[in-house]
Amino acid sequence: MIHFERFELSNGLKVLFHKDESTPMAVVNLLYDVGARDESQEQTGFAHLFEHLMFGGSVNIPEFDTELQKAGGENNAFTSNDITNYYDVLPAINLDTALWLESDRMLSLAFTDKSLEVQRQVVIEEFKQRYLNQPYGDVWLLLRPLAYEIHPYKWATIGKEISHIENAKMEDVRAFFSKFYVPSNAILCIAGNFDLDFVKNRVNHWFGSIPAGNKPLRKIPMEPLQTEFRDLSVERNVPADAFYYAFKMSGRKSEKYYVTDLLSDALGREKSGSLYVKLKKEKQLASEITAYITGSLDDGLFVISGKLSNGIDFKTFDKELWNSLDEIKSSILSEIELKRLKIKVRTAREFQEQGLLNRAMNLCYYELLGDAQDVNNEHNLYQSITPEILHQVAIEILQKERCSRLYIKSSQHA
Amino acid sequence: MLDRKKAPQPEEIKEIKFVYPEKIELSESVSLYWIRNVPNSTVRLDFYFDAGTIRSKSLVASLTAGLIFSGTQQKDATTFHNLLDDSGAYYDVGVSHENAVVSFYGLNDQIIHIFKIFEEAIEKVIFPQSEFEEIVKERKQKFLVNLEKVGVLTQREFQKKLFETTDYGRVSEIGDFDEVHQAEIIDFFEQFYKMGLMKVAVVGNLNQPDMNYIVNQSKKWCVRQKPIFNDVFLKNSGRIKLDKKDALQSAIRIGKILFNKNHEDYISFSILNTILGDYFGSRLMKNIREDKGFTYGIGSFVSELNNTGYFGIATEVGKDFVEQTIQEIKKEIELLQTELIGEDELELVRSYLLGQILKSADGPYATMDLFLSVEQNGLDLRFFNQYIEKVRTINAEELREIAKTYLKWDSLIIVTAG
Repeated sequence: MIHFERFELSNGLKVLFHKDESTPMAVVNLLYDVGARDESQEQTGFAHLFEHLMFGGSVNIPEFDTELQKAGGENNAFTSNDITNYYDVLPAINLDTALWLESDRMLSLAFTDKSLEVQRQVVIEEFKQRYLNQPYGDVWLLLRPLAYEIHPYKWATIGKEISHIENAKMEDVRAFFSKFYVPSNAILCIAGNFDLDFVKNRVNHWFGSIPAGNKPLRKIPMEPLQTEFRDLSVERNVPADAFYYAFKMSGRKSEKYYVTDLLSDALGREKSGSLYVKLKKEKQLASEITAYITGSLDDGLFVISGKLSNGIDFKTFDKELWNSLDEIKSSILSEIELKRLKIKVRTAREFQEQGLLNRAMNLCYYELLGDAQDVNNEHNLYQSITPEILHQVAIEILQKERCSRLYIKSSQHA
Repeated sequence: MLDRKKAPQPEEIKEIKFVYPEKIELSESVSLYWIRNVPNSTVRLDFYFDAGTIRSKSLVASLTAGLIFSGTQQKDATTFHNLLDDSGAYYDVGVSHENAVVSFYGLNDQIIHIFKIFEEAIEKVIFPQSEFEEIVKERKQKFLVNLEKVGVLTQREFQKKLFETTDYGRVSEIGDFDEVHQAEIIDFFEQFYKMGLMKVAVVGNLNQPDMNYIVNQSKKWCVRQKPIFNDVFLKNSGRIKLDKKDALQSAIRIGKILFNKNHEDYISFSILNTILGDYFGSRLMKNIREDKGFTYGIGSFVSELNNTGYFGIATEVGKDFVEQTIQEIKKEIELLQTELIGEDELELVRSYLLGQILKSADGPYATMDLFLSVEQNGLDLRFFNQYIEKVRTINAEELREIAKTYLKWDSLIIVTAG
């Protein structure tokens, strides 16, 4: 159970406060309701590039990091297709420093041409390091546009291509800030050993005078129901053949989301998932096989991926995979297996709740979904899943016409 | 009127409280450490075995670690993993030079089940030939994938050069996968697991009978004598260039053999290391990422072994920036040797480090990890009181001397791949 209080400033900033008396540390987590899905397709990678620029100096403070380090703190941020999340972890006695810093960069940025140039270069190196210079690194650059035809999930957070980052102009970046970085588009969570009145006072002090702005309206084209099987096969200089089967699934707010998550555990968990047992242990067709979900807010993907065993061809594997999926769809999971999945969910959840930062991040994320209180209901949603519901969702999702398949073929053998 | 230009005055951290783990002796040389005050029902069990890579020929240690739950006469691997799942447990096995650590993450009402599954696996595992062959194939494929990564290529050469002539310098080659046998795994397990337990760490609110059970049943695996580790290492240096055609980025590793926490200059050096490359505002990050944009990240580190330690710098940069990056690293090191660090920067690093120690001692899991980081060198959490004292009192002259003594450019190994 994560306890919290909620209040809102007159400029529209939503604030959550989570009290933890046991820690000398504090977390300030600030979620902005903007991600790569809010970009235009001519300027992809902006939300993420922007995250880098948020450290390039704000209107009254030249160096964000330096000031936080002086207060014994550290920070980081991440961008996904849905959100941009910033966090500061510092000694609780210095909470004010983090609020000062975060409020100033919400107020206005003051980065220079040089910081734009440098961060552009840093992001290009990040693009290479994570996507281009790794074996199988470009998989998501290929799989997204295969699975999504019109929804902006068709590009990765790093961007569709390097040229979009290379061509980013100062005015575009400024416009992005004034549109999305307004109080009403943000959710703040303070966690630590404080009193509510103190937190209200400090948050009002630093954030209260930031002009409200308008919460940007979102007009994202929804992906139409996929009705045909799609496939793509590419050759890469990698040692082993790899496969990716991406099935459409419902978005984060659907009740089916949790069921699908559990289904991915049933099929793909390491060492004992049904596909692992069938295709790796019994038939030895794959050297690795796993299943997972993308966890996105809008309709997401249920992915089965792995690598072929040496000497096995795609065709043999593909046939056996669909056979296995048919078996899964034609049988109902045993109570024992379901219980197994649920207790693991419970363990993972309890460990996650150990961390103050995790708690603060989760509260913000659930508030974005609709209500931070739901974070405490998630466990029940998982526990209430029955074998029948799981079976229904398996039948619905694991259809060939909802699947996009990517093969990465090794050019090294043969 | 709110003055946003004026920073809130940061307050100094006055006191950091360390919670000492309880110590239960399993044998003369093996202890179990326990932190029981955990706010929820989570439990972590770590078993440290004398089963690191230095104890065998190539691959044997890592394959053995991967086969602990490969099956007994009665139960196959899938049955074991289903049993672990039934108890809600997650586990992982980490193999390093000097140990193999088997860790379980579970809930306290299940912990005895989890331990019993582990106990059964250790006592009865037979390493079936089919499981052995499967993991060899799987690891061989992963090995080939890893060789495509410039970071892995430099790390391998760096390790070879750093630890040349010792077992620490051995890296696996592709041919090794054809020359490893099931019998070697069985022998290794007998010697280094069943008689190889060096230490146990438990975080979690267990009841006393459960803890007693774990204590009593773990005793049979204790090492018979305190393990011995190598203490003679060459002081290699020099440049190694590896080619990886078509690479868009090159990896760089720079470093040398140094010392561990028992050395009198360890703390001073580790503060210097922070300034050079171990936080976001470090000299290397500021120069090579935030000024030049050559890389997504660059960092330096100090790593410790039982009888020594080493210093290193690691980064991946655009392929055209390799020589410039090395020159800038050299420049930053020479600056530390010739110019005094300004008081502002030193103050900042002091505050930053104190904040990090406060964080590292926050909560039972962090505290146990902090404790384990000193226990290996025969120290306890009092080490951090010395550390805090040194952070508060060290001056710029002392840091310059440390840089001059330990970071001579000619004393470093430099490996690049790309």
